[in-house]
Amino acid sequence: MKLKRVLGLVLLLAFTAGFVFAGAAQDASSSAAPDANPNQLPRSETLYYGGQQWGAVNGWNPLSDDMNNALALAQSAGGSRTLMFETLYMYNLLDGSMTPLLADGDYVWNAAQTEMTVKINSAAKWSDGTAVAAEDVAYTFVSNVKYVNGQGVGNSPYIESVTAVNPSTVLIKAKLTAAGIAVNPLMLVSYLGSSYVIQKDWIQTVEARNNNDAAAVKKDPGEDVVFSGPYSKYYADDQKVVFIRNDAYWGQDASMWGKLPAPKYISHTMYADNAATEVAFKAGEIDVDQQFIPNIQDLWLKDNLPISTYINEAPYGICVNMPTAWYNQDIAGLENVAVRKAIAMAVDYDAINANAMTGQSPTFQDVPRSLMNPTPGEQATFDHNAVADLQWAGSDIAGAKKLLDDAGIVDTNGDGIREIDGKNLSYNACAPNGWTDWMAAMEIVADAGKNIGIDITTEFPEWSVYSTVVTAASQTDYDIFMMWTDSATPVQPWGRVRMIMSSEYNGVEGNWSGNWGHYSNARVDELLSMIPIEKDAAKLKSYYTEAVKIYLTDVPSFSLMYRPDKFHAVNESVWTGFPEFQDGNNIPPADLSDGYGIAGLYHITPIQ
Amino acid sequence: MNGYRKYFGKKILWLLITFIFAVLLNFILPRMMPGDPVAVIVAKSAQGISDTSAVKQIYENYAEAFGVDKPMTIQFFTYFKNALTGDFGLSFSQYPRPVADIVSSAVWWTVALQFPAIIVGWLIGNLLGALAAYMRKGFDKVLMPLSLFVSSIPAFGVAVILLVTFAIKLKIAPISGGYGFDMIPNFSWSFIMSVISHYQLPFWSIVLVSIGGQAVGMRSMSIYELNEDYVKYSRFLGIKDRKIVGYVFRNAMLPQITGLALSIGTMIGGALVAEIIFSYPGLGTTMLQAISQSDYPLLSATTLIITLMVLAATFVIDIIYGLIDPRVKAAQFD
Repeated sequence: MKLKRVLGLVLLLAFTAGFVFAGAAQDASSSAAPDANPNQLPRSETLYYGGQQWGAVNGWNPLSDDMNNALALAQSAGGSRTLMFETLYMYNLLDGSMTPLLADGDYVWNAAQTEMTVKINSAAKWSDGTAVAAEDVAYTFVSNVKYVNGQGVGNSPYIESVTAVNPSTVLIKAKLTAAGIAVNPLMLVSYLGSSYVIQKDWIQTVEARNNNDAAAVKKDPGEDVVFSGPYSKYYADDQKVVFIRNDAYWGQDASMWGKLPAPKYISHTMYADNAATEVAFKAGEIDVDQQFIPNIQDLWLKDNLPISTYINEAPYGICVNMPTAWYNQDIAGLENVAVRKAIAMAVDYDAINANAMTGQSPTFQDVPRSLMNPTPGEQATFDHNAVADLQWAGSDIAGAKKLLDDAGIVDTNGDGIREIDGKNLSYNACAPNGWTDWMAAMEIVADAGKNIGIDITTEFPEWSVYSTVVTAASQTDYDIFMMWTDSATPVQPWGRVRMIMSSEYNGVEGNWSGNWGHYSNARVDELLSMIPIEKDAAKLKSYYTEAVKIYLTDVPSFSLMYRPDKFHAVNESVWTGFPEFQDGNNIPPADLSDGYGIAGLYHITPIQ
Repeated sequence: MNGYRKYFGKKILWLLITFIFAVLLNFILPRMMPGDPVAVIVAKSAQGISDTSAVKQIYENYAEAFGVDKPMTIQFFTYFKNALTGDFGLSFSQYPRPVADIVSSAVWWTVALQFPAIIVGWLIGNLLGALAAYMRKGFDKVLMPLSLFVSSIPAFGVAVILLVTFAIKLKIAPISGGYGFDMIPNFSWSFIMSVISHYQLPFWSIVLVSIGGQAVGMRSMSIYELNEDYVKYSRFLGIKDRKIVGYVFRNAMLPQITGLALSIGTMIGGALVAEIIFSYPGLGTTMLQAISQSDYPLLSATTLIITLMVLAATFVIDIIYGLIDPRVKAAQFD
């Protein structure tokens, strides 16, 4: 009797499972068809993003740095995301150009390059129908500085003031040095493509309801925010955020795009991690994915999925970033140039490219190392022949050994490890735990050490610990460690030279800006002050060439790979016509959202 | 009656002492983790800002907002005072979102997934274990190795197998999330069906893993009980098998009930594996994020809830044992 009851229960459970799986199948199939139900996003009208939004959205307030709203709020010198809020210009990493967005025509410098004038497009409107005015631009700048947000503190060292000359003209004045020249004119150009314009009336509303309290203003979720971009909030919870197109968007004016962007909805599901995102991308639940997928070519070559990248062959993207191994120059032995250069020469960069990047990076044979990324624009800034003798492609064990031997750094006690002043050369090589491509790269750096008689062991602390140590004014915990460098922005390659070698960052507690190895060179500092204000192209080239020579001679750090700023991969199950390299549209691989990359939204079409 | 009062009084006293220490540890332990939570947030705001004094200014603003620049004792009393009113402050990792908001939106997903899964896993496991002990022969020979096999597969293994088999290969289950990727929550049949279908794989991944362990434990206990003198004596007396099985089952259940109560007490920690593999909403991933980003307020709040639930569960068990098993109460008096 009892047995029958038990078996009955088990069968019932099995039946329930079967029933609900059947329900799941039904649910999955019904979701594929377009539906008039406003609670079900029509697939052919919705563009799904992946790899951008992690965790729930906190709000919509562009004055705050803490809204965790990746698709709505991302201001960056490499091209701000303009789905909801807009900048004056759109930066294009392909050619460094600035295309007007809220602005009308090109910006104009005065002769001394201390002031620039920008005209506002008369068609530009806020979502409440009022015109975007020069006063909005001016008040946004003042507010950013007043509320000490990222834009305010980032721009105020270079911009003296932003004022409205008349309702459609903005005057931007540079901060000047004692000699009366702009501190850095490049930073003013960068501001044009990175800083959102926020409506003055809305800022004043937020200020009023928060009694002008700076902390409260920045915590305000801004649910009522007024915006000028083509999309705004439709729905948000812990699992997804959905934007809906503003069909009254001013950009359909002939002076701008001439039409509305193709997707009516833009949605981003919050996945637990990269692996879950990749599964959804392969299943066609994500159209535009921003994440590193090892061996991405297998998705179309082996799995026959309708997935593609910006470039259809290796390295599959435009690599503009150079993840770098930094030498901590406060560590005994690493202040020695021969040790630094020997390790860098011995590293097998092809193995890093093959293992850590699965071929998604140009090799150092393709693009010999310098301070510049592989884009033609940056490569043209220095004299390649003048630095050719100093460049190394890696895996040069014999050369590295000879360099150390010649410097008198040898193994005297026979334990296989070289010594300086009787002390073994023994170092750790660190990367944050879970950053798998960086970790793989550091393992290869450690192997290089073994090959040349330097003991290098890897350590992978959690990011919260790692970042605290690396950004300290001085530290002796990590000897060789990885950090990023600047991607493509209007201030490059000057910004990257500064990031890698400027001594202004030495001794600064909480240094997130660069030179984490604490290198110092007076001539580099001098070059860094001269480059931004130099107008003579030949002189500029000679300055950059000199900087590269110093970098390759002193080896304060060495880049391990070239990487894209954004991994841009698309699944063409539902949408087609995504930007591709040299397709004639000059749209950068910026996920159809950043800088001029947003132009991609006007070119895609649903597959019927 | 006096004996019960003494027994309960003693239990409540220990409960209070444990609670006070637990609250203290909840506050102190997260703060002993290496790493600077402010630095993690600054990293997000400061990327691309090349001016060092500007970055420092951002850092100081956050340090002041979080109160981490104040002495530890002041931080503790602020925490304790606010916690009494259910205010756990603002999360560091999801600043400026309140911790209470994060926990309240995630906790129901966890409870709705874990509670039924624990109960179903426990029931099926114990029934199969008891059956194996009682029937022996073929059933036991098949069930025992099977239970051992299933219980030894790591939870993530089961979850990945289910995902690959039913969602990716057979395409009869959704791959991730708490509801359809193309849906907006609403009260409609299609949305409810979507929630139910997304529930299946995470649910069964937890149930399958727990069945094995429960069955093995129950089988051992039942076999032990079946060989007890009272069983043999009952048989001599001619008591029906069904009645004897009832006695055996009740006695063998006692340790299993403890296990069940502890499982329910700790369930708020979340089914981390199911949440990660299926991107299912819940407190597990929230806690993991809090740990990796040194988010003290969020971590303290979640561990405090776990502490309270475990304390409540063990207290209830102690009380129930005192009532249903006189031996336990007697042992306490000794």
